[in-house]
Amino acid sequence: MYTQVIRTHNDGPFHFKKIENASHVIKAYNPICGDRFEIFVDSNSKKINSIHFHGFGCAISKASTSVLMQSLDGRTFQEAITICYNFLKFINKELSTDELVLQDEFLAFSGVHDFPERYDCATLSWMEMKKFLDQIESR
Amino acid sequence: MSLSIHSIKSQFPIFTHRPELVYLDNAATSQKPQSVIQAIANFYEKENANVHRGLYELSGNATRRYEEVRKKVSRLIGAPDPKTIAFTKGTTESINIVAQCFLKKNLQKGDNVIVSAMEHHANLIPWQQVCEQTGAALSVIPVDANGELRLENLDSLLNAHTKLAAVTHISNVLGTINSIEDIISIAHKKNIPVLIDAAQSAGHDRINVKNWDVDFLAFSAHKMFGPMGTGVLYCKEEYAEQIDPLNFGGGGIKNVEFGQTEFLNYPHKLEAGTANISGVIGLGCAIDFVAQLDTNQMVAHTKNLSDTFTNKLKSIGKVQIVGNAKNSGSIVSFNLENIHPHDVAGFLANENIAVRAGHHCAQPLLESMGMPATVRASFSIYNTMGDVEKAIEALKAFKKFWL
Repeated sequence: MYTQVIRTHNDGPFHFKKIENASHVIKAYNPICGDRFEIFVDSNSKKINSIHFHGFGCAISKASTSVLMQSLDGRTFQEAITICYNFLKFINKELSTDELVLQDEFLAFSGVHDFPERYDCATLSWMEMKKFLDQIESR
Repeated sequence: MSLSIHSIKSQFPIFTHRPELVYLDNAATSQKPQSVIQAIANFYEKENANVHRGLYELSGNATRRYEEVRKKVSRLIGAPDPKTIAFTKGTTESINIVAQCFLKKNLQKGDNVIVSAMEHHANLIPWQQVCEQTGAALSVIPVDANGELRLENLDSLLNAHTKLAAVTHISNVLGTINSIEDIISIAHKKNIPVLIDAAQSAGHDRINVKNWDVDFLAFSAHKMFGPMGTGVLYCKEEYAEQIDPLNFGGGGIKNVEFGQTEFLNYPHKLEAGTANISGVIGLGCAIDFVAQLDTNQMVAHTKNLSDTFTNKLKSIGKVQIVGNAKNSGSIVSFNLENIHPHDVAGFLANENIAVRAGHHCAQPLLESMGMPATVRASFSIYNTMGDVEKAIEALKAFKKFWL
């Protein structure tokens, strides 16, 4: 479960800081375990210029949020949606390893397939981000 | 009867099916002995019938067995009469009944209800909500850094407008054993009724509602070796009439007309609908199981395990023990420096060690102590020193792997 990628992202998460005046702040909170992150999106109408996060959570949720930041930084909303869908499909076992292009770091979370108790940890921020992106795109 | 852990453990089939399991999540639910499992299966295999008003033998037997458990519960908690015992779904429902069916009609703006800062959500939210519904205020007895209630504040919190105080016997996070008799005697000087949440103590520690002069007591069967979905509300006789039914339906009634219904007395008025009869029979069997053990030895055994675990934990280093009350039970909450409790519990899970991580349904308590979550190990009579050793070794390995 605790792969090197997860350990590395947990110890030194990507873009881990609070941003004042971000265009959007997305809250990812799991009341069952108390994990709580805020995701700060700086964007224009089409593109995520930069994305940061801050908060408290276990190594799996923190690392998965860090990978989310790394994956979406500088992406268009359209690209971001595809990436989110791919990650969630991979965690849900609806996408084979071969179909995962360019996102090697997703593989680090394949341990969730054997530990369904940690499903929420791996998907918490991704689900909230997907909800946010779906809303943006449906406008 | 002397306590032989080996013979006790062998009565719990889960450890035969899962010999590797180190089960340290007893504060969440206990495992069930063969006798309880068998009693429930026997009821459905050989004795199944609905209680009350059946004229055939099976129904009569089911009724007798169901009512017999009221007597067993009375003996377990030192209640003066079986008619003070109502069967509920569990601690949560018992407390909600007192909040909604007893307290609410007497509660108004300007009144207040007292809880302690170490309540789990089941003994907090029912009071918080009834206060919100009526405009009353909720006051909180604070907890000190050791995890003990600051009872010197209690007298000043209780006033002429206090309608009830609700306090846990044993904290499910800190293991603190509260001075129930002191709390009740302070409250009773001002004629304030007291509800005691005995979810963690019933069947494990001595309870005597008569000697303590408790007004209401709530607990669940499933934390004391009984089945899930069954619990108890004890209500002192002087308040029994003031409790209204929670559910309306078949049973619990004296006379029904299209225009009105006359209800039976407590406890039957709380038991409308078909009761969890097999659950109540299972509870009776769990009480029989506990009765064959020596309470002092049980308490000494689990206390010895939790004390040993705590001391060994401290020697690992970089460990914070949460709660250091002088009088505490078989529950140990802790954190390893800068490591999220879920990661500790997740690692232990890989080693077949079951502990709990999170806020343990006591979010305000942990937030007031400045931490979002802890790891909790809770011990029961079937746990061994071997379990303590395995957990400590796993934690040492985890620390080496992580830090």
